[in-house]
Amino acid sequence: MSWSSDSVKISRVRTALGLIAALALIGLVTLVAVLVGANATTVGFAYLIVVLAISIFSGLTVGLVSSIAATACFNFFFLPPLHTWTIADPANWIALFSFFIASLIASRLVVQARMQAANAEARRNEIEALYALSIDLFAATNRVGALGEAATRALARVGATGGGLILFDGSTNVQRVVAWIGPREDEVEDLAAGVGRHRQPLEFPSAAGSDVYVPLVVGGNVVGVLVARGSGATPRALESVAALVALAVERERFIEESSHLQALRESDALKTSLLRAVSHDLSTPLTAIGLQIERLQRKVGDGERDTVADLAEQTGRLRRRIENLLAMARLEAGNFVPRPEPTPAADLFRQVREHLPLVTNLRVEVAPDAPDVLADPSLALEVLVNLVENAHRASLDGAPIELVAHRHPLDPKRVRLEVLDRGPGIAERPMEGDTGRRGLGLEIARSFAAANGGDVTLANRPGGGAVARVDFPAAMLPAVAET
Amino acid sequence: MSARILVVDDDAAIRSTLAQQLGEQGYGVMLAVDGHDGAKRFDADHPDLVLTDLAMPSADGFALIQHVRASGDTPIVVLSVRGGDADKVRALDLGADDFVVKPFSMPELLARLRAQLRRIGAKPQLDFPDLSIDVERRRVLQGKRELHLTPTEFSILELLARKAGRPVTFDEIIAVVWKGAPGTTNDAVRVHVGALRRKLEPDASNPRYLVTEPWVGYRFIAEPLS
Repeated sequence: MSWSSDSVKISRVRTALGLIAALALIGLVTLVAVLVGANATTVGFAYLIVVLAISIFSGLTVGLVSSIAATACFNFFFLPPLHTWTIADPANWIALFSFFIASLIASRLVVQARMQAANAEARRNEIEALYALSIDLFAATNRVGALGEAATRALARVGATGGGLILFDGSTNVQRVVAWIGPREDEVEDLAAGVGRHRQPLEFPSAAGSDVYVPLVVGGNVVGVLVARGSGATPRALESVAALVALAVERERFIEESSHLQALRESDALKTSLLRAVSHDLSTPLTAIGLQIERLQRKVGDGERDTVADLAEQTGRLRRRIENLLAMARLEAGNFVPRPEPTPAADLFRQVREHLPLVTNLRVEVAPDAPDVLADPSLALEVLVNLVENAHRASLDGAPIELVAHRHPLDPKRVRLEVLDRGPGIAERPMEGDTGRRGLGLEIARSFAAANGGDVTLANRPGGGAVARVDFPAAMLPAVAET
Repeated sequence: MSARILVVDDDAAIRSTLAQQLGEQGYGVMLAVDGHDGAKRFDADHPDLVLTDLAMPSADGFALIQHVRASGDTPIVVLSVRGGDADKVRALDLGADDFVVKPFSMPELLARLRAQLRRIGAKPQLDFPDLSIDVERRRVLQGKRELHLTPTEFSILELLARKAGRPVTFDEIIAVVWKGAPGTTNDAVRVHVGALRRKLEPDASNPRYLVTEPWVGYRFIAEPLS
């Protein structure tokens, strides 16, 4: 970029023109004064005004040259002895000196004002660049590439000759160069990582003038680094650019995340409606089969009774399998929100019986002090049904299975439900064959209990067999006076 | 005259099985394949009871419930599926009277239908197996033993027994027993029903009269002696 050498040329031309004009003006004042025959005091004031004016318009150099020229002319043409370079009266030295001082002060004032104006102009340019960047960034939606283009445009606007935008993906070591202008050396990556780790801008002289690395920080996280090379912009301007880019990067991430969430929500909704449809489509034919089997059971003769009973049993098993599968699918769909309700254990036990009509040797006992269970009733039922079914599978035919509810022995705010069997116990349970099915039932019981703030533990039962304990939160019902 | 039941289900196997078995029980049966068809049959034939599936391709059960409720208080029993608890509660809120969860058994369904078609009215004496409720004298006899209930417990029992076999919601219990007194919570109902059950149920671990309907309320399950 040749902007700075252009401006040097322009200022030299201005100085030369100012000098010519200044000398011409002093010559004119001298000529007029000589022709008119003005006295020394009048001419002195005229020179002073001219020197001041020249200093204001043309700066310090031209001002000093004109003050010397004016002093020389004043001395030569108007101070006795005339037409010599000598000064007889010491008072005239004072007049001469005051020309110098006046031109010096005036030009300094002017130069200061000029510099301030130049600074203001530079800052205005920076603010304009920032404004343009912010417009660029917020128009650049949904595209990280557009973000990079906006960042490089902003860098060019603040006078950078190279550099670009580097984003971190989770760690300062995983870098993605979103945009870059000019050559990129190997050490850029290390420098960017260092700036990212220390969260401090880094500035150092380079071939391009100076390189500045500014970290992009949002909400305490460094998301990347902005690199500006050979920029005349102030560090503050670069930091503002970096802050804007950081915000835009964060916004891009939010947009990405929210579209991801949207997709997840949609897939959840799809899973829910699929599950509902599958659940309906499987339950309906099963209902029809079950009803026909019931009818057959009433109508068939003794010879066929066993066959139909077998059919009923198999259908019952199929129904439980499907229920377990659907329960597992609902759980995995992850959109199953438990709706806890105070539920008496006796009601849960009753429903267990209804769901497992084949488990005929089930004994239930609810201790008089057993609090109601605070859990989602359908999930709590699923927990118990699976545990009772496991116990039933592990038991010999006719061995009783017990279902017991009482207050937790250690925690009065919990209620304990137990499923006790007289099967082989836990360690000795068969590990092959139907282990997978038992495992699924236990897993469903565990997951559903956990979803209700409960947990399932298995232990060997004194005297043989196993006990599955489910601890649920107890419902705290208010005490109501008898009315 | 036997009651006429409109069966609405998109599954042909369910329709034919129910038509056959309800027919064997002496009910008049009419069939419809979806909510639209069901509404048309309902308007044309004025059945005594509507038995409808909820999930159907064209105009689901919810639309049919609204249609039937708009024209009167014909009992509606819905067929829901396991895991469809929210649907069940929504159907009741829209005005359905009861629900049966697929897969159900025929005796279970018949008990629900009988309960809906039964009109106990303002009988002064309600008789159930081993339990009789004398409404006028506010006395309850279990066998020969008299149960001592508080006035609130008696009112709850009377309400549930009059609607034997049908679900009674918490809101309904609060409206009738507490006259809708503000601040009466479901938990207050639970406490009183708990106390009632302790006096009423011969075996607290195996309730035979009163059961909880999750998220809905209670159901008195003993069938009245006619």
